Amino acid sequence: MSTDQITAKRVSTNSASTKHISVKRYLPDTSTETYWQEYDLPVDDSTSLLDALNHIKEQLDSTLSYRWSCRMAICGSCGVMVNGIPKLGCKTFLRDYEGDIRIEPLSHFPVQRDLVVDMAIFLEHLAAVKPYLIGDNPVKPYDPKAPETYQQTPEQLARYKQFANCINCGLCYSACPQFGLNPEFLGPAALTLAHRYNLDSRDNGKKARMAELNRHDGVWSCTFVGFCSKVCPKHVDPAAAVNQGKVEAAKHTLIALFKG
Amino acid sequence: MNMNKHDVQHKQAFDEPLWWGLFSAGGVCFAVLLPAVILFIAVLLPLGLLPTEALSYERASSLLFSVPGFLFVGAVVCLPLFHTAHRLRHGLFDISVGNDTLNKKLMYGGAALLSVLALGLVVAGFLS
Repeated sequence: MSTDQITAKRVSTNSASTKHISVKRYLPDTSTETYWQEYDLPVDDSTSLLDALNHIKEQLDSTLSYRWSCRMAICGSCGVMVNGIPKLGCKTFLRDYEGDIRIEPLSHFPVQRDLVVDMAIFLEHLAAVKPYLIGDNPVKPYDPKAPETYQQTPEQLARYKQFANCINCGLCYSACPQFGLNPEFLGPAALTLAHRYNLDSRDNGKKARMAELNRHDGVWSCTFVGFCSKVCPKHVDPAAAVNQGKVEAAKHTLIALFKG
Repeated sequence: MNMNKHDVQHKQAFDEPLWWGLFSAGGVCFAVLLPAVILFIAVLLPLGLLPTEALSYERASSLLFSVPGFLFVGAVVCLPLFHTAHRLRHGLFDISVGNDTLNKKLMYGGAALLSVLALGLVVAGFLS
């Protein structure tokens, strides 16, 4: 490719249009009222919402606050509502939007400032379900003749692998009407991670987790709306995990009844 | 979230697996059996596409007032009633009507009453 072609290509991507986005602002040190602020930005086909927010912060208005880190959909920091739907800013492209683009902080969480929300309750729910291996075999000195530490077949891995892709972005909590009505509901991501560890062949902590899952605020607050699975940027399918969790919780209750 | 073991045990939802089990069973019956029932009783029969004596009074009562009739009523009336009760209860919670403890009693209580009535009629017919 010659230099001319490269230049021509650059010009064509840069000769982009201008888009109009509205951001819901909340600046608690000046006012307790929220308000909408309008911005006009230059965009091309590769402009993500996060790029747009960075452009606003750097060129137009340095008072705007939002979270971001990796810009490649793995850190889970840049979740916002785009026209009422929870999305990751870095995975959302302005080319897919015509007309109004309204950016708000994630629903169902207390807003700290602009697009920054307080995720403390989500982290509490995560911790409550003990999302880590419990009572797994202690690591022994490696013996190449008889390697036995943490062995897992591909089938055993496949049982939980999909549910292990959660990046804790919290989009599913913003999508869940039940979490909106009752913040004590453990919620999609926490219940999914609990299920993920319950399905892990190395784990022995199911009993401790079931006590949390089998509460009214555990799996039983889910009414299978399924929007959590629609908005999940990593295709984890929390709705499936939560409803498989209901089967497990029902089994747990039956066993508890017989054991007394 | 500093919940000790006693609190967690105390909050165990022992009733929910039962309601959810009835809801699931009712959903299956709703989906699998009711279309066939509606097709036969509410479409084919009134259109005269079945022999007129297919559900004559004698035949219908002998079919209904029997052990299979009892199971039939359980599957197409009682379980779907609990399915409906579960949906109504959660629907009321979603639109913030009443409180869940009361709604639970009303909905599942209603489903239980109507189920007893339906099954009671079958038993009464069976005994008479």
